[in-house]
Parts: sequence; structure tokens; C-alpha cells
Amino acid sequence: MKSLSAEQLTIGYEERIIVQNLNLDIKPGKITAIIGPNGCGKSTILKTMARLHPASSGAVYLDGKMIHKTPTKEIAKKLAILPQSPEAPDGLTVFELISYGRTPHQSGLSRLTQHDQTMIEWALDVTGLKHLQNQPVDTLSGGQRQRAWIAMSIAQETDLLLLDEPTTYLDLAHQLEVLHLLEKLNRDDKRTIIMVIHDLNQAARFAHQLVALKQGEIVKQGTPDQVINTEILRQVFNIETDIVTDRRTGKPAMLSYELIK
Amino acid sequence: MQARFKWSTLILLVLLVLSCLISLNLGAVSIKPWEVIHTFLGNGSDKQELILFQFRLPGIILALMVGAGMAISGTILQSITRNELADPGILGINAGSGLAVIIYITFFQTAAGGLTLVSTFILPLFAFLGAILTGVLIMFLAWKKGIDSIRLILVGIGVNAGLSAFIIAFQLRLDPHDFVKAMVWLSGDLWAKQWPYVWALLPWFIVLSLFTLLKTHTLNILNLGTQVTTALGIRSLRERIILLITAVALAGLSVAAGGGIAFLGMIAPHISRRLVGPRHQLLIPTAALIGAIVLIMADAIGKNVLLPTQIPAGLIVSLVSVPYFVILLMKTK
Repeated sequence: MKSLSAEQLTIGYEERIIVQNLNLDIKPGKITAIIGPNGCGKSTILKTMARLHPASSGAVYLDGKMIHKTPTKEIAKKLAILPQSPEAPDGLTVFELISYGRTPHQSGLSRLTQHDQTMIEWALDVTGLKHLQNQPVDTLSGGQRQRAWIAMSIAQETDLLLLDEPTTYLDLAHQLEVLHLLEKLNRDDKRTIIMVIHDLNQAARFAHQLVALKQGEIVKQGTPDQVINTEILRQVFNIETDIVTDRRTGKPAMLSYELIK
Repeated sequence: MQARFKWSTLILLVLLVLSCLISLNLGAVSIKPWEVIHTFLGNGSDKQELILFQFRLPGIILALMVGAGMAISGTILQSITRNELADPGILGINAGSGLAVIIYITFFQTAAGGLTLVSTFILPLFAFLGAILTGVLIMFLAWKKGIDSIRLILVGIGVNAGLSAFIIAFQLRLDPHDFVKAMVWLSGDLWAKQWPYVWALLPWFIVLSLFTLLKTHTLNILNLGTQVTTALGIRSLRERIILLITAVALAGLSVAAGGGIAFLGMIAPHISRRLVGPRHQLLIPTAALIGAIVLIMADAIGKNVLLPTQIPAGLIVSLVSVPYFVILLMKTK
């Protein structure tokens, strides 16, 4: 099982420092959700932990190796990251997009091997896109499109899967569809999943571990029961909340909330 | 798409052969298509052989090369910037090349039209160096811990405007005869229709085109954006710089032989994308074919429509491209 951690990580854009001296250990084989208010550095941390953004100081370790000093292709065989709202060129079909997920396993010329084909078929199956495989991605609905991108990322065949707001712009049913898919990928293949997500109830319901951030600092890391409580949410989001136990899932859920005056 | 690619390639190849035959046929001396074939089989008269092999054939090969080169260059630029408006003209590469040529005419070539053997090769060399230097300048100015696509295009547009101003400033100092010559060159005239030019440029063109074909998969991935490219394990910045240099070199070669042909690098990939979709394995060959056909036809029309006056092929390409864009704009919401 591949490990991912940040040590004394400092990240900034230009001169502005977003995150300072962050230490974060990701639990292998679990779903981790990163939550926090807008601008707290959630996406930045996720991108930096996947080497899409440079670290100003400190380091991210993937399998004990510094991620920013490892060849990018080597990382792509262990870790997949789906950025927020990616765009496919017009006319690109679902199958073609998913086949691009095999890039790190291919040599320069993109001949698909038998194993590549198997992985693409599997990704099509598990995301329920088989019947749409020859459709252009730009003609799909929002939920289908997001599933196609997730299919590309899982066709990459990595132990770690990072997703930046995978449910944004989707309606409730499609959000659940995506989250159930991630749950299945974690349960069946023991993939480590890290996602940035806004909806606290969904975070509590689907993640084993929550990381609550404020202004680039971890306020609390732990299980949903440890993180989703009145005290911490007041601190992180500046809101007063009523927390109940969701009868359907047994997880903590937010019933109502109000700004603190 | 694969089936569509086969059909469109077949049709485009037929069109290419037709446009070649038409172009070989038209001119001050008309040679009938069957006479063309006869001559190719070695049964033509001396006069026909001279006209075909020494005058028209190098012109067609040159047009084919320049057209395909511009189209491939435009396709690369559009994909690495993820912007369908990018082409060598917009980014100022044509202008940079043009400026180099004007400088050459101003300072080094005294008597207009007095081409010695040395100057025949120095002019395209200047054009090529002008293109490369402009490419380097754009990359240098757009550099900010990496190269952002929008920044690259905006810097290109700025550089284009600046270089165009310099061109006018230099042009105004030319004597009238040189001025006309420079104007014709800038508007995209296939002037280098002689075998020595063809042999000088063709090997480079073939090498660069083959290299681009090796990079088709990388281009497909780059088309998904920088972040996804890195996520898939491809060194986005490095690959984009390599491909940018390839595109600039192809444009430089094309401009060296054909002057500043505007729009061709933009419309050829545009039409091909509609024909065969966004995969570069199909897109690059299709765009190259379209670029070649358009330029051969434009050259044939320009040579013949207002005889004895010859219109630069670049002007014909612009004349055809503008309505295409207007129709395209009217169709999009």
C-alpha cells in the first residue's frame, strides 16, 4: 500500500503564503475528505501533494520519496489526480479519453496493449459508461462527463486517487452517483482516495478520515465523529450548527446552521 | 472517426491530385491533363518537359510543402495553447520573418531584383532566422515560471503588432521598386519556385513533419490542459517548448519559401477538426493535406485569374478564409 504524507510543507502563490509548515499523514486504503471554507488552501494542498503545484519549502513524500524530485511519469503510475472541472476537446469520445489514462504505462507511441484494453474495459464497466463509449465527451450530461473523467483517472491503475471537488456542478443524484462510485473503488480495490469536498454531510457519510482546514492550518483531523461537531465547525466555518446522527448511515449530519453574529 | 478518416483522406488525396493537375495545366502556356501525364511518362515535347519539370513542378512541390507546413504548424500551436485562434500569423512569427526580409532588402540588396546565387539562399535564411528569433522572443516574454497559454497568445499578438510597425517603418524607406517587391513578399507569394529552393527546404520539412507525427500522442494529452497532462505523467512544460520550437521552425521554413501567408495555419486545422475530430493521429495528416490543397489552388488561381497580373497566393488564401470565418461565426451561437 502506497503512503502519502506532507512534512513541514509551505506553499505559496507568488509572494503570498497559503499554507505554512503543514504536516499531514494520509491513511492508506481509506477515503480522506479535506474540508474547509473557501480560500483555506484545500485545493492548493491537494495539488501540491500530487506535484501539480510546487512546494516553497518542506516536502511531500510518496512511498518515502520526495514527490517534487521524482520523475513525473513514475508518480503517474502510483498516483492519479483529477483536477477541478477539466475540459476535453470537442469530439473526443469517452473511449479515447479513458484510453489516455493509460499514458504513464505506455511508451511514446500510444499502441494499446491487451492489458491496456482490459483496464479501459474495466473503467468503462465500473463507471457505467459502456453504452456511451463512442459518444463525444462534450455531448454528455454533467454527471456522465464527470464519470468519464474519473474513468480516465482510474484507468491509470494507481493505488492513490486524488480528486478536486468531484461533485461540483452536479445535482444531488449525480453527486451521490459519483460518491458511491468512489466508495466502491475504495472498498473493492482498496484504493486510497483523497478528495476536496464542500458538502459536510457527504464528507461525513463517505469519508473515513476528515481533515478540517482553516487558513492553511489543520484545525482537526480524525474520523467524522471526531471532526463533525459544534465546536469544530464553529471554529472552522464560523457557523453555529445542530448536529444529529443520520439514521440512514449512522454518521453525524448537520441538520441546520446559522452564521455566528 | 477511423472510417471517416479513411474516406476524408481518400477524397482529399483525389482533390490534391486534381489541384496538382489543374495547376500543372494552367499558366501562360496551357498543357492539357493528358499531355501532363504523357510528359510525365517521358513522351512530351521538349517545350512541355521544360515547362512542366523546370517551372511548374517545383512550384507545386513548394506549394505543397508550404501549405502542409503552415497547417501542421498551426495545428501544433492551437493544441499547445488550447486556443483555436492560434496560428503563426497571430503569434507574430510571420511578421518576424517579414521584418528580417525587409531588413535584408533595405541593407544588403541594392539593386532590386538583382538576385545572385548567394542572395537566393540568404533571403530565405533571413526569413527563417527571423521566425526563430521571434519564437524565442515570444517565449522569453511569456515566461513566468513556466509558459501560460493565454499569456503566450497575448504576448504573441503584442509582438505581432510591434513587428508590423517596424515593417512599415522600414518599408517607407525603400525605393518604390523594392517597396512593391516587399509588399508582394509580405502578402505571401510563392516566389521560390525553383529546384534549388525545393532541395534546400524539403529535407527539413520532412524531418519536422515526421517528428510531429511521433508527437501525436503527446499533443492529444496536451490538449487536455497542463494539469491533466502532468497528472498523466507527461512533462508538460518541456513538451510544450519542444513542440513550440517545432511549430516555429515549420512556420519559418514555410515563410522562407512562401512569404507571410495569413490564415492558412488557422483554417486548415479548423476544417480538419470538423472532418476527423481532435485526435492528432488523424488531425495532423488531414490538416497537412488541406493546407497543401488550399495553397496549390490559391497559387493556381492567383497566377491565372487576372493574367498577365499575378496575385500572391497568400491574398487568395485570405480571400477564401475570411468568408469561411464569417460563416463560422454566424453559425455559432
